[in-house]
Amino acid sequence: MSLLEMNSICKSYRNIDFETQVLKDITLHINEGDYISIIGPSGSGKSTLMAIAGCLSKPTSGEYILDGEEVDKLSDRKLSRVRNEKIGFVFQAFHLLPGVTALDNVTLPLVYSRNPPSDIKERAREVLAKVGLEHRLHHTPGQLSGGEQQRVTIARSLINNPPIIFADEPTGNLDSKNGIETMKTFDKLVKEGKTIVLITHDSEVAEHADRIISILDGEIASDTKRQPSNLPEKL
Amino acid sequence: MNLLSSLAIAVTALLAHKTRTLLASLGILIGIASVIVMVAIGKGSQQEVMDVIAGMGENMITINAGEMKRRGGRLRLSGNVTTLSPRDAERIANEIEEVELVAPFEEKRMNAKFGNNAAETTITGSTVDFPLIRGYRIEKGEMFSERDLKTASRVAIIGKTAIKNLFGEEDPIGQVVKVHFIPFKIIGVFEAKGVDTNGLDQDDLIFIPLPTLMRRIVNQTHVSRIFVKISSRENISKASEKIRELLRESHKLNDEREDDFTLVSQLDLEEMKRETSELFTKLIVGVAAISLLVGGIGILAVMLISVKERTKEIGIRRAVGATRSDIVRQFLYESLIIGFLGGGIGIAFGVGLTLGLTHWGNWTLLLDQDSIWTASWVCAVIGVVFGVFPAIKASKLDPMEALTIE
Repeated sequence: MSLLEMNSICKSYRNIDFETQVLKDITLHINEGDYISIIGPSGSGKSTLMAIAGCLSKPTSGEYILDGEEVDKLSDRKLSRVRNEKIGFVFQAFHLLPGVTALDNVTLPLVYSRNPPSDIKERAREVLAKVGLEHRLHHTPGQLSGGEQQRVTIARSLINNPPIIFADEPTGNLDSKNGIETMKTFDKLVKEGKTIVLITHDSEVAEHADRIISILDGEIASDTKRQPSNLPEKL
Repeated sequence: MNLLSSLAIAVTALLAHKTRTLLASLGILIGIASVIVMVAIGKGSQQEVMDVIAGMGENMITINAGEMKRRGGRLRLSGNVTTLSPRDAERIANEIEEVELVAPFEEKRMNAKFGNNAAETTITGSTVDFPLIRGYRIEKGEMFSERDLKTASRVAIIGKTAIKNLFGEEDPIGQVVKVHFIPFKIIGVFEAKGVDTNGLDQDDLIFIPLPTLMRRIVNQTHVSRIFVKISSRENISKASEKIRELLRESHKLNDEREDDFTLVSQLDLEEMKRETSELFTKLIVGVAAISLLVGGIGILAVMLISVKERTKEIGIRRAVGATRSDIVRQFLYESLIIGFLGGGIGIAFGVGLTLGLTHWGNWTLLLDQDSIWTASWVCAVIGVVFGVFPAIKASKLDPMEALTIE
């Protein structure tokens, strides 16, 4: 069974006198452990696709099943729980709470968790160590470099151990060195069994994935699996 | 999400904007503080007035000749009525059992002379019951006697203000004061009594036997007032009715004619002052409502700005799993805390100011516990009412839109 299943998803925004169709009839299946890139030029609808896949926005029509749950029909409360437990986000602009320490930013999802673990701080330290930030626990985003901020974001996406992580232009605000570091982290996470969806317009970033889906004008233009050259390494 | 972590988030957010938080609570603070002080002033002045009324004479009924009309909240006599007489006073004393003391009374503003000093004062004529009814006490010397009344003696008891004006520092006892060219011997001094409910100085008087005043000075047989003391408070209304009947009969008034006198009892005065103070209370409530509304709007404005400014934060929280109600609660707690912060400081401020004014300002203020409790509730209600709208507004945002808003 697919981890993520989209059937005929449409999304349109209604203005005063005309309707813009951002997504047209998207059908997409993603399996557990997949490493996927969604590419397309700006305005192609890839960010909207991520918003719907990440339960940040609801589709206008179509069916969306995530981890066996029909999320397009869920109430706000249940949808929030899905975001909390099943999805991790890494954003281009990091989206960390300003003035709050790295440690507290990382624990934020657990604040809204239904059954938060007792060792919150301990787990936050663990994931921050995993992204190499054990020495920056009490720094606020303003005191961290772009690369460090992005690693805090990754740590936050991991804290609740969700099966799937969406990364929207994760290297967009980083220099090439930090970009490479970030991508290495994602590669590592896939090897640990996470499902990762990269949204990008950068073909170099997209190349890291095993499957590249390209979006054009709200439709899937191509869906290609990579040559199995890397497969032995994965196995 | 539990209450404690919601509160922690709200407190952290408020601490991050200390100035704004304080400004938002300032309106509530001033509103609550001023309400507490104003209620205390109101209660204090009410108490003061009641004390004055009681000081004018306990269980007293005043019979005024002619019709009394209320003008500007004060009773004023109209017309010149000559039907009220010392004979009426005698009959009231003899025929009405609830009556304890009766004092027919006449007064006139006149010049009094002592040596080369002259000062205008109130020449008051009445009987020996007058000081007992009106609560005047002899401080020095003695009262005149029944005999002095019968013989219309030229003796006088003098009040503190009149002493100051005529004698200065000199001891008045035994001295002779001339009123209307008639010499009066000062035999006693009244204790100071202060002002009455109309703000008149009750110590500016020279008190002489009524017959002396009527025959030798004003040359009339009627009086303008009779003071009556009733045996107990419960009997005041009943006695009033009896006095009215007696006077109507005595003045030969048939059913078609109005009273040619006006009865004012202590109860009437209290009632009148109560009405005035109720009006004052309503005014306070009105002002309080307005100032608290303004305070509430302050919270509303600050919370709306806060929501707008923190749209991205809302998006982030929603993205990691905050529900709509989590967001509502967060902002609601913030406005509640602002409300309580303003209210708490306002109460402290109001109570402090009240106690300070009482202690150093020589004001009569009475702290009202009810107003403090009410203030606390009002703070909570304002916090919720004016916080709900921004909170709901914040929660309605689509997480994706909230994140991408610039």
